[in-house]
Amino acid sequence: MSAQPEAELAWVERWNPDPNVRQGLADYPLTGDADVRPVMYNGVGGGLVQWAAMWQTLLASDFRVRTLDGIADDWPIGWDDLADCYAQVARDMSVSGLGGDPALPEMDPYPNPPIPIGKIGQVAAEGMDRLGWHWWPGANAIASRRHGNLQACQRRGTCMIGCPENAKATPSLTHWPSVQAAGARLVTGARVTEIPVDERGRVRGAAYLDRDGVEHFQPAQVVMLAANAVGTARLLLLSASPRFPDGLANSSGLVGRRLMQHPYRTVTVVCEDPLDSWQGPWGQVIYSLEFAETHPDRDFVRGAKWMVMPHGGPMFAAAEYQEAHRHDGFEAVWGANFHRAADEVFGRAFTWGIQAEDLPEDDNRVTLDPTMCDSSGLPAAHVEYRVSENTRRMLDFNVARAVEAAEASGAVSTLVRDVWPTGIGHVLGTTRMGNDPQTSVVDRWCRAHDVPNLYVIDGGVFVTGGSANPTATIMANALRVTDHLIEARASQEIPA
Amino acid sequence: MSGSGPTPAQRLTLDRLADVLVPEGRNMPAASTVGVSEGLLDRFLDAAPALAEPLLSLLDEAPAEGLDAFVRHLASQRPGDFGVLSTTVVGAYYLSAEVRRLIGYPGQQPNPLSVASEPDYLDMLERVHERHPGYRECS
Ligand SMILES: Cc1cc2nc3c(=O)[nH]c(=O)nc-3n(C[C@H](O)[C@H](O)[C@H](O)COP(=O)(O)OP(=O)(O)OC[C@H]3O[C@@H](n4cnc5c(N)ncnc54)[C@H](O)[C@@H]3O)c2cc1C
Ligand code: SF4
Repeated sequence: MSAQPEAELAWVERWNPDPNVRQGLADYPLTGDADVRPVMYNGVGGGLVQWAAMWQTLLASDFRVRTLDGIADDWPIGWDDLADCYAQVARDMSVSGLGGDPALPEMDPYPNPPIPIGKIGQVAAEGMDRLGWHWWPGANAIASRRHGNLQACQRRGTCMIGCPENAKATPSLTHWPSVQAAGARLVTGARVTEIPVDERGRVRGAAYLDRDGVEHFQPAQVVMLAANAVGTARLLLLSASPRFPDGLANSSGLVGRRLMQHPYRTVTVVCEDPLDSWQGPWGQVIYSLEFAETHPDRDFVRGAKWMVMPHGGPMFAAAEYQEAHRHDGFEAVWGANFHRAADEVFGRAFTWGIQAEDLPEDDNRVTLDPTMCDSSGLPAAHVEYRVSENTRRMLDFNVARAVEAAEASGAVSTLVRDVWPTGIGHVLGTTRMGNDPQTSVVDRWCRAHDVPNLYVIDGGVFVTGGSANPTATIMANALRVTDHLIEARASQEIPA
Repeated sequence: MSGSGPTPAQRLTLDRLADVLVPEGRNMPAASTVGVSEGLLDRFLDAAPALAEPLLSLLDEAPAEGLDAFVRHLASQRPGDFGVLSTTVVGAYYLSAEVRRLIGYPGQQPNPLSVASEPDYLDMLERVHERHPGYRECS
């Protein structure tokens, strides 16, 4: 569909990032009262089927939030523990980008040169240059030239509904071919229902249902969970047993708590001249970390990352226009004013996306829904999430600065949106890493404190969220943990 | 598309509702004149089949007169139903080849990029380096 005129319509349903709208075979319902409802893609490849492929490491300070800013917690690891793995996963994912950003520690060069920033990146960068603010060409897991199993990007801009050119990194291209060649077996259509334990409290494998609802059991010596911060928490809670009555690995009571999502606002910058801004890639063209760190003069701690993106075709332009004018009444966007979106916005605008570092809070949490179930009869994930006062102030401040950046770029107008009610696919924190079993779920090697042969390797282990798009860190950390597991295999406890 | 598809009467109603949302503009045709209730609707519903049922029941519910007021009522009181109607109309409208030509939209076409030449933003990046204090040390 992404190569057809219907491309934009794919968002309406089949490729809608909200599982409650899409209702795909592998999806489970998300219930609850959340200011920001998580989005995700369930199926082989997970979110990396649908992601925008923006590649960003955490800041060095993100690992030391407690020490530096006196709030939240420090990670039990630091940037240096991930450095080599960041470089390796960037190669595995054929990342295109430019090293040398002074806001980040030094890194190995990316395997591919950056994608040209194009007209929208140039206009945005000139604004930042005038203001003396930080910006850098965006790194993306999109190949700017043939690399590994990826072809060169053709700028179709349909990245989030599937790349028809095989230019965007996604596990079916970057990982599964070699993993399967090495002998791994992929069981599709499997819905894990429980991680059972033996009498000594070691996990024994995974119980799952196939597409026809038939029960199976896959024995394992070690289980690694990567169902994302919502799905993993759900599965651990589903795996409650007499030995673990509050859920597997949950003696701390923290499984499901501290959900972080990077609440998101946008400022769409409308310019006088045509910018052909329906063209892709729909990764980050440029980004800014100018306001990503704590500053003593501000009325909030921590910060936000900004990134420039194209705005898609005319349907998206109309939706953006309508959303920004939602409080101005019917006349403002429909009837005689309908065509203004196409006249003024379509092809002439780009968007500054602003993602905030939300701090971990116990009450932002995933639990099991008491009544609603998925199509297999398993409880849905119930999500409660409030945007904190600190985050709201942070977003207000950053949006005001982004409007200034737009003006410095020569904008004729801006379309400002409030906090998006659906998330941006960043779900973090519900099985946090730490040294103390009373205040964390997994240790520094992401092994459950309570269960010696159970690991979590998704974004649930994040102690704080930073403001960076999380996948580079999720992957680097998964590699770090797996390397260690292999090295230390002689001492790994396994079921009897 | 699921079921037997919209009836001629439902298509006619959609045309009239669609023109409340998307009337003729300075250089732009009204929704009904590009065929949003015909082939474009069918293509739209193929892409978004779950919207067919709520859309068709909305079309059945629409009164014979006072469609303008009906659409405004949906917009202010029934956002879910209004979303079904407006998404259908806008989605089908921008599928029209004529509309796309008028707004200069070629679709999400391939357009190879070149990384051969040196980017011309390097002087701006030098200035980023000159003024940046460096990342926050934390060890
Ligand atoms: C629209 C969108 C855009 C995004 N853009 C970016 C971006 O530009 N940059 C970035 O860094 N990140 C982005 N992300 C986030 C990125 O997708 C995630 O960080 C990444 O996919 C996390 O990988 P994961 O393996 O931890 O979890 P996921 O990718 O969420 O994978 C979880 C997997 O577990 C499976 N699963 C869950 N429960 C069960 C069960 N009970 N049984 C069997 N299987 C189960 C799911 O089907 C899925 O395959 C985006 C996400 C979305 C949705
Ligand atoms: S812009 Fe590039 S990565 Fe995105 S869909 Fe097109 S070819 Fe694929």
